[in-house]
Amino acid sequence: MSELALEVRGVTKMYGDFKAVDNVTIEVPKGSIYGFLGPNGAGKTTTIRMILDIVQPTTGTITLLGADSALKVRDRIGYLPEEKGLYKKMKAWAIVAYFAALKGVDRKTAKVRAYELLERYGLKEFANSKIETLSKGMGQKVQVLASIAHKPEFVILDEPFSGLDPVNQQVMEDVIRDLAHEGSTIIFSTHVMSHAERICDRILLIAKGQKIFDGTIPEAQRTIPNRVRVDTDAEQALLSELPGVLSVSPTIEENRAGAWDLNLIDGADPQELLQTCFDRGLSLRGFDHKEPTLHDVFVHMVGDEAKEAVKR
Amino acid sequence: MRNTLLVASREYAENARTKGFWIGILIFPVMLVGVIFVTKWLAEDATPTRHYIVVDQTGSYSDKVDSRMDLRYAAGAFKDFQGWMQKNLKEEFKSNAKVDFESIPPINMKDFDADQFLEEMMAKNKDTLDRALHPGGFDDLVEEARPQLVDEAGDFESPRRKFLRVPLPDDLSETATPKEIAEHLKPYLKGDKSLEVDGRNVDLFALVIIPSDIDKQFEPKDTVQAIADGVKALAGFEPPKVQYWSTNLADTDLPSILSSTLDREMRHSQMVARGMDPNLVAEVQKMKIQVKKLDPDKEEGKEEVSQADVLRENAPIGFVYILWISIMQVASMLLNNTIEEKSNRIIEVLLSSVTSWELMAGKLLGIAAIGITILMCWLASAGGLLLYWSSPEATMITSLLDVIFDDTLLPAFIFYFLGGYLIYAGIFLAIGSLCNTIKEAQNFMGPVMMIMIVPLLTMAFIPKDPHGTLATVLSWIPIYTPFVMMNRAAADPPAFDLYGTSILMIFSIIGVLWMCGKIFRAGILRTGQPPRFMEMLRWLRPGSDK
Repeated sequence: MSELALEVRGVTKMYGDFKAVDNVTIEVPKGSIYGFLGPNGAGKTTTIRMILDIVQPTTGTITLLGADSALKVRDRIGYLPEEKGLYKKMKAWAIVAYFAALKGVDRKTAKVRAYELLERYGLKEFANSKIETLSKGMGQKVQVLASIAHKPEFVILDEPFSGLDPVNQQVMEDVIRDLAHEGSTIIFSTHVMSHAERICDRILLIAKGQKIFDGTIPEAQRTIPNRVRVDTDAEQALLSELPGVLSVSPTIEENRAGAWDLNLIDGADPQELLQTCFDRGLSLRGFDHKEPTLHDVFVHMVGDEAKEAVKR
Repeated sequence: MRNTLLVASREYAENARTKGFWIGILIFPVMLVGVIFVTKWLAEDATPTRHYIVVDQTGSYSDKVDSRMDLRYAAGAFKDFQGWMQKNLKEEFKSNAKVDFESIPPINMKDFDADQFLEEMMAKNKDTLDRALHPGGFDDLVEEARPQLVDEAGDFESPRRKFLRVPLPDDLSETATPKEIAEHLKPYLKGDKSLEVDGRNVDLFALVIIPSDIDKQFEPKDTVQAIADGVKALAGFEPPKVQYWSTNLADTDLPSILSSTLDREMRHSQMVARGMDPNLVAEVQKMKIQVKKLDPDKEEGKEEVSQADVLRENAPIGFVYILWISIMQVASMLLNNTIEEKSNRIIEVLLSSVTSWELMAGKLLGIAAIGITILMCWLASAGGLLLYWSSPEATMITSLLDVIFDDTLLPAFIFYFLGGYLIYAGIFLAIGSLCNTIKEAQNFMGPVMMIMIVPLLTMAFIPKDPHGTLATVLSWIPIYTPFVMMNRAAADPPAFDLYGTSILMIFSIIGVLWMCGKIFRAGILRTGQPPRFMEMLRWLRPGSDK
């Protein structure tokens, strides 16, 4: 196993009687892109703040870039918090340069780098605009650039995609890939699965403060049963009698009669299932077999909790 | 240290770069000057001419009242004329002008003594007085002096009369009873009817009725009469009084001139009636024993207290006021700033880059620099203004400048500014770190303001008793030390108080900053409701932040 950039060991955080994070262990190898996934209120932000030593864990240890506190290596870390905000009266370049300077870059270099970054990610013409005149999305891009202008070895981005339009989400993905390409280790949190799916090496799924899954994306996909979606007028009972079918439920995404999700027994072959359907004379309007997406994994693992969280 | 300076310079630049900041700085001196001019203008020009009626049923007072009002007007006119001449005389004639306006005695309109003015004018400058009291009298004077005036000098405009006596309406007789007169004129006084004066309709401001038997009560009495009067008084009979009718009771100029004139005249005639020589009495009344004020702290032979000394005694009041204003201003700047960073969530990024101590120190430093900038600007504008103010009060200005740049007051001011700033900035910073919005902060600010207001309430009294119990006790309360000790600074407080309170203040600053650092650290990332008091106490426990 390669060297670890971050090691979180048995960390718990209590807020009064409330357990925000419960005995979480994370290992992030150097140079990887690591996604933190989880429903709202799962404890992602608290974990991130503990990693940064902004709040301190109740129990457990955190080692970041070999140091026991992020504050000791803070010049090597870049951080984009969940709730974005900038000094409204400052100019875009000045704010990028200011944060870089706070991270130890000398002022001249910071200024040069600020202009470089703004130009590279399509904000050249706004470099001299005050933040209050920029749109929210542009402001957010400026903030992302401000958090990476000092070329950090370790980057933590809390919800970097929220509030961005699809084009800028793409730009954001590019930023993350570029950073990884330059050798940085990146942690980012999101609840948009497609981003994680496209750019993460590994993901961590947490809910209610507890780690649910930690591993690569194929590993995640393997945690849920193979699933086939069929479109038919046949009764639910007939479908569940088919060999290799574990359970049958109406498709969540399509709210109409006749669409079913068939969860298959481990190792069952969808081809055989299709054959059986023909043999039994079931008339199918559709038969769709896809690898489960991260979205499916997420819903499967934390769907109930997420719904509960919404109700609360 | 590097980060602290970075934070400080950003903080400074952000504030100093806004227009609002500079407007805020300059608004104070501008307001101060504005207030002076506006009150002057209100007093002199903004009040309309007041028309009044005097019904004198004794027949002996009204002329005196008239001439007294004339004299008063003339004195005001002379004062204006004097100022006008001074402004318009050519430089070389300033000291030997043909019209000897220097001989016009100094006129203090506030307690103007018409007789004294008259007497001094008669003695020194009778000619001018005679001419000026006649209509157009100043025109002659101006023409005479014209060769000595600068070319662009226009005409001197005599000031407007502030009070003008008008006759009774035609349908009313002077001899009607006071009751009838009052009843008849009430609608005029209330503004329902107006009087016609020189073809113009004017409002009646006041009505004065002097009843015919007004003097009777003062006449010399024999014993029987005195007893009879005493019995009458017991039975509820009131002696006759002069009636002053007006809907405006706030403007006391007219009634006070009236009553002083009437008193004078009555006394004059009573003196004559009792065989006294009024001139002799006046002479005696003018006699005055001079009181010299001496200060034992001053050098031998120079103990006499001068105007500058009085100014110096009182200057701390001004210093305290400015101290208070400036500390309030910068401390609330700090509060707003912190709340902005908190509500914008910038604080989180900052805290991933700097420690909360560095952040706090940086903010304190940056805003302190702002505060010093503000003070420098005020000092410069005060100095500039005073120097520019060319006028007869020149000696006063030099002594004022001496006081401002005094070798003990100014250093004391700077020391107490920094001390007070650090205490209050620490408190405000902690409040800012606990609140997410200005509105929440206001809940905290209420009690803080109540506490802070105390030095403002006491600042006028402390110089009168600079080493009294109040002053001493307040000096030893660290949050009041800067203000109260500044207040006492001119009176050379005892060394024990001076050094003791300073040391206490410095320790308090350290304590406050330590405490605020803890609260700042714990509060800065909080969201939601401000914490309860007990919770804040927990933050102060050792090791609670780890």
